[in-house]
Amino acid sequence: MFRALREAFSYELVSIKDSTYKLFLITLLPLISFALIIAIFYEGVVHDMPIAVVDNDKSKLSRQLLFNIESSPTIKIVYNADSLKEAMDLLQRGEVYGIVTIPEYFLKNTLLDKQPHITAMLNTQYILIGKILTAALSATLMHSASQVDYVETLARVQNPQESLNVVAPIGLQVTPFFNTYQNYFLFLVSALLPAIWQIFIVITTLVAVGSLFKSKSEQLFFSDKYVGARLIGMMIPYTAAFMFLGLLYLFYIYGTLGWNFEGSFSVMMFGMFLTTVAYQGVALLLFITGFDYARSLSLGAVYTAPAFAFLGVTFPIFNMNGFALFWRDMLPISHLVSLQISQANYGSDIFLEVDKLLTLFTFWIVFVPVIFAFKKRLKV
Amino acid sequence: MSFLKTLLREAKTIFLDIAIVLTIIGGVILYSFLYPQPYSSQSVSKLPVSVVDLDRSDSSRDVIFKLNATSQIAVLRVDMSEKDAKDAMLEDKIKAIIVIPPHFKRDVALHKSPAIAVGVDSSYFLIYGAVLEGTMKSVLTEAVTLKVAELLKHGSPSNGAKDAYTPYSLNIINLFNAQNSYTQYVIPAVFILILQQTMLIGLGILGGGINERQEKHGVTWMVMLSRVIIFGSIFFTHMLFYFGFSFEYFGVTHLANISELITFGVSFLLATAFFGIFLGSLFNSREIATPVILFSSLPLVFSAGFVWPLQAVPESIQFLSNLVPSTPAINGFLKLNQMGAEFSMVLPQYTILWTQAVIYMFLGYYFINKKRKKYVNN
Repeated sequence: MFRALREAFSYELVSIKDSTYKLFLITLLPLISFALIIAIFYEGVVHDMPIAVVDNDKSKLSRQLLFNIESSPTIKIVYNADSLKEAMDLLQRGEVYGIVTIPEYFLKNTLLDKQPHITAMLNTQYILIGKILTAALSATLMHSASQVDYVETLARVQNPQESLNVVAPIGLQVTPFFNTYQNYFLFLVSALLPAIWQIFIVITTLVAVGSLFKSKSEQLFFSDKYVGARLIGMMIPYTAAFMFLGLLYLFYIYGTLGWNFEGSFSVMMFGMFLTTVAYQGVALLLFITGFDYARSLSLGAVYTAPAFAFLGVTFPIFNMNGFALFWRDMLPISHLVSLQISQANYGSDIFLEVDKLLTLFTFWIVFVPVIFAFKKRLKV
Repeated sequence: MSFLKTLLREAKTIFLDIAIVLTIIGGVILYSFLYPQPYSSQSVSKLPVSVVDLDRSDSSRDVIFKLNATSQIAVLRVDMSEKDAKDAMLEDKIKAIIVIPPHFKRDVALHKSPAIAVGVDSSYFLIYGAVLEGTMKSVLTEAVTLKVAELLKHGSPSNGAKDAYTPYSLNIINLFNAQNSYTQYVIPAVFILILQQTMLIGLGILGGGINERQEKHGVTWMVMLSRVIIFGSIFFTHMLFYFGFSFEYFGVTHLANISELITFGVSFLLATAFFGIFLGSLFNSREIATPVILFSSLPLVFSAGFVWPLQAVPESIQFLSNLVPSTPAINGFLKLNQMGAEFSMVLPQYTILWTQAVIYMFLGYYFINKKRKKYVNN
């Protein structure tokens, strides 16, 4: 049995050496995909988002306010429009993401305590951009308003500290736990890289087994009754390659970039191993539906492509419906990313992770029908 | 061979290939159901938090009541100590801890401006943002109530006091996606990418298979035209299904008028069809297309500019992604259908799509002929 495994293993190694495609699938292609995603988000922080302003007051106060907005690193005023219509046109063209309008008699009404409204219209079709601009504008406006308020209150109560406290009767002190860097890079890239990684595992497994059947060498390869052993021998080079690629992205994020990894790296590695094998098993399960190379690739695409949306990193699982939660559970990568977040960020105790690891291990059951179907197909 | 014969032969090759049919019909329908699932509740709401109330006064209870009243927050538990709350967080039961300090009520009365502390799990940005928004809203309303009371105490008339709690205010209007709905944000863009990727995979399997089997299917331009007609009409139907039925079903707005949407859509389908024919001419087997196109999906989504602002994407990557129809198409469709732009405003994207269609048509023609010369059994 071990001989069969060893034979299959060395057969597959040679076939990888001889096939540029297989070699690329475990080296260059995933690395290029990783690099593209990293390059897209490399800036990590959004700054200089273009907006247009319509200043209908043109007073000292409105200019001061615009200056305060401009000094926010997030926002850049790229256009001083004469009318709202003109600004709206720019927004619909996609040249600006928002319009800030200062009303007529802004200075006068402020001095008369009439509380004029400044209007910000934001393009929230782009939710992330909309949220970033909302936060930046609110902060700037609150700051500017409290400057005015402070001066007014100071004139009344004549005590700097008390004026400050009257202006803001309750303070808010925010502590971001875990991703204390407040950077989109870690947030998105640490979930996108695993999402890409799982696509490559499934596709590469299908290429390995599919090309064997396509070239009609399956009888030659599975030459004895040790179908399971030979199948495992065939998978081991890829298991190793994807463990390496997985550790590479982990090392990139938590090693070179210097993000903290609070928990246990060996637990993470063990989870990654369980996931790699789980995906190889699921890929083989897709293959046995018809032992057809091209068709199983289509199934692999349907299974792996939407995975990112189900991870719960962008959209929280608290708000997912029953079906989405079910589908999420069917994807090993969602359990691995949960493990990654709880290990890297929370540093959770190992016994809290047992259920995630067990869930990942449960996927290994698919090897039972897989080996059974292979035996039936090969008539051994 | 006549054009009609070529067309029939192409149609036969396409519809007898299960992998192609599975992708361009099964896949398109399946994805339209699967992709919107995570976002069915549309927005982030009722996130579980714990409040650690160290004051236990009527003021602190008032704050808790206001927190629970926001749509973003659900106060799942009130803990006696920060440790209990922190344990609940590590067990993933809550996403944020809000601490009301001791002597909160007294300090407010003494103008000492006590601080409410918020600790949020920032592993998830949407959760972080939503909890912050909810807390800010409730703390602000509480602050305003206190401030108006303060001003009244100082003898300001009631109306004046209400107006003067801040010298001027910011009124934020959410345009185009007023509810900040995630469905509205993701679906219109991702659906365009699905149409493109499934069509490219279909044409890629077809082209790769023909190169592999070394089949000569009639005159080159007739073959190309046949594929454009067959794939064009299938995906035209898909497009109507997505923009019509799916958008309606998932409650996505559709502001564009139909003739403009179709004019723009046709340019997108043509550019994609010729791009697919060109890619298919490069592949030497049926099995190359699916992986290659699949790998490009995530980078294409995130370089299209709707999730992550284009201003933050490196220019070289922006350039690369504009070589693919989905990037100009997503931007154009979003403007027309989600933002109600006039057609003149999408002319830049419309021009890019036509340019792509023409260039990929010539490239496809050139490579199909080149490959054919290499076929052994001519």
